[in-house]
Amino acid sequence: MSRLKGNIAVVGIGEVPTGRYPERDCMDGCVTSAVQAIADAGIDKNEIDCVVPCGTVFSGAYNSDLVTSRVVEELGLSRVHNNVQVFSGGASSASMLKVAGSLVQSGMARHVLCVHSEKLGTGLSGQAGIDLFALAGIHREWEVPFGQHYSTIAGLVTTRYKYETGTTDEQITAVQVSNRKWAELNPNAMFRKPLTVEEVMKSKMLATPIRAKHSNMLADGAAAFIVTSAERAKDLTETPVYVLGSGGRVTHHSLSQEADITRFGYAEAAADAFEEAGLSPKDIDIAEIYDSYPIFEIIALEEMGFVERGKGGAFFLEGRTWPGGELPTTTNGGMSSQGHTGGGGGFAILVEAVRQLMGKAEKRQVPDARFAAVTATGGTYVDAQVEILGNEIS
Amino acid sequence: MTQSDEKPNRPEPEVSRVGAPFWEAAGNKKLLIQHCKACNENIFYPRIRCPKCHREELDWIEASGKGVIYSYSVVLNNAPSGFLADMPYVVAIVRLEEGVQMLSNIVDCDPDTIHCDMPVEVVFREVGKFTLPLFRPAEQI
Repeated sequence: MSRLKGNIAVVGIGEVPTGRYPERDCMDGCVTSAVQAIADAGIDKNEIDCVVPCGTVFSGAYNSDLVTSRVVEELGLSRVHNNVQVFSGGASSASMLKVAGSLVQSGMARHVLCVHSEKLGTGLSGQAGIDLFALAGIHREWEVPFGQHYSTIAGLVTTRYKYETGTTDEQITAVQVSNRKWAELNPNAMFRKPLTVEEVMKSKMLATPIRAKHSNMLADGAAAFIVTSAERAKDLTETPVYVLGSGGRVTHHSLSQEADITRFGYAEAAADAFEEAGLSPKDIDIAEIYDSYPIFEIIALEEMGFVERGKGGAFFLEGRTWPGGELPTTTNGGMSSQGHTGGGGGFAILVEAVRQLMGKAEKRQVPDARFAAVTATGGTYVDAQVEILGNEIS
Repeated sequence: MTQSDEKPNRPEPEVSRVGAPFWEAAGNKKLLIQHCKACNENIFYPRIRCPKCHREELDWIEASGKGVIYSYSVVLNNAPSGFLADMPYVVAIVRLEEGVQMLSNIVDCDPDTIHCDMPVEVVFREVGKFTLPLFRPAEQI
């Protein structure tokens, strides 16, 4: 079990709207969200002594800039000891929080800036985006030659899950509707018009049973957060958000090598996180669950113990995850509605959890929220990452 | 999907040192899987060291070519460039009798008749200069 519980806090966040912004350079979003996070934390920029940029995939050249401290130079930070890129695909936010938290807890750093920016919406053409995600994280000898890509990965998982649980396409599609209900209230989301199950079910079939509107949309976006010690956080803000528990399980690299594609490692990861936090699913006010495709939101909620196996789809369909529902879930709208920014998908969900616990979520604020469970996963759903956050120490 | 429909722009496997014997055997219509002489583990895909015991005493056994479909997905739109000409095509995870899983395609059948846990058998198809092990529905045992 980690020694981070109650010792580490997120004290500032920033985010630019997700969508298609051809005029916005990738570095624009990076700098803007970082400046917002520094201001939100109420620290001087030169108090930042470590910068953790997330990896990007739209451009290798841009990523090289991040590796070689361009963010430090752009922001004019004069006292940075280390610029350390952390990248675990969509699970980067979980890895960055753990790395930043560990650096603070060890005394290696005092104020860590974690920042992400991507340009998957306008930095690539449509087919180039499809082709990138037919290679990214997919085995080039044993899976790429058979036409594996992210729609088939979601298709394989959804098909087997339906077969084992009897869940219907309508119930699975209800995840998209729930995410959209939240996105309607999120000014940073890419898609904000109401969405119905019928509309999704009429959209083009990509890879059975995955339709176009079951898919996420590649997008431009950026976000940032500042990590410091719980002790320092008391000087800075009345609403520090504490790291209370963490868990993670890496289960595979290639989906075909996963023994159970209907479960992954969420049960074990959540058990660790809940044990560290001293909490259980019934204590959680908000579930911020990484989606990218609806099936992964269902599997995560079930495996973490929020709803019985096979009942997750109905849970969404009955509106129990909607605004005003008993378990507000993925309150930024997820990657299906806010947009998919690569490593930023999980990042946006983590930032949303912090925003809710700080009481800054405006129209979609969950009243009196104290504890949130946050998930992330990278690549071909290679891992299950779970963080428990709270605005008080459990 | 039939052999004549195959387009040369379909991506070919990036053959690794340890995978090369597999692809050579596939060219001779043999489906090989790795086997660890030290711990008796059957292994697919081919590894540098046994993933169970980390020993290097790995040899090859010929698989029966029979298995079942663990899961599948029929691609109808928005395929990667190299597969646009192949649509519709079926991606599946096949569980071989020998206890290993591999990704492949299901061919020689109406995709609407495919289901999870369906018995399948290997069939070899040439794609460019490679022969790929694909699977088709097998007679019920």
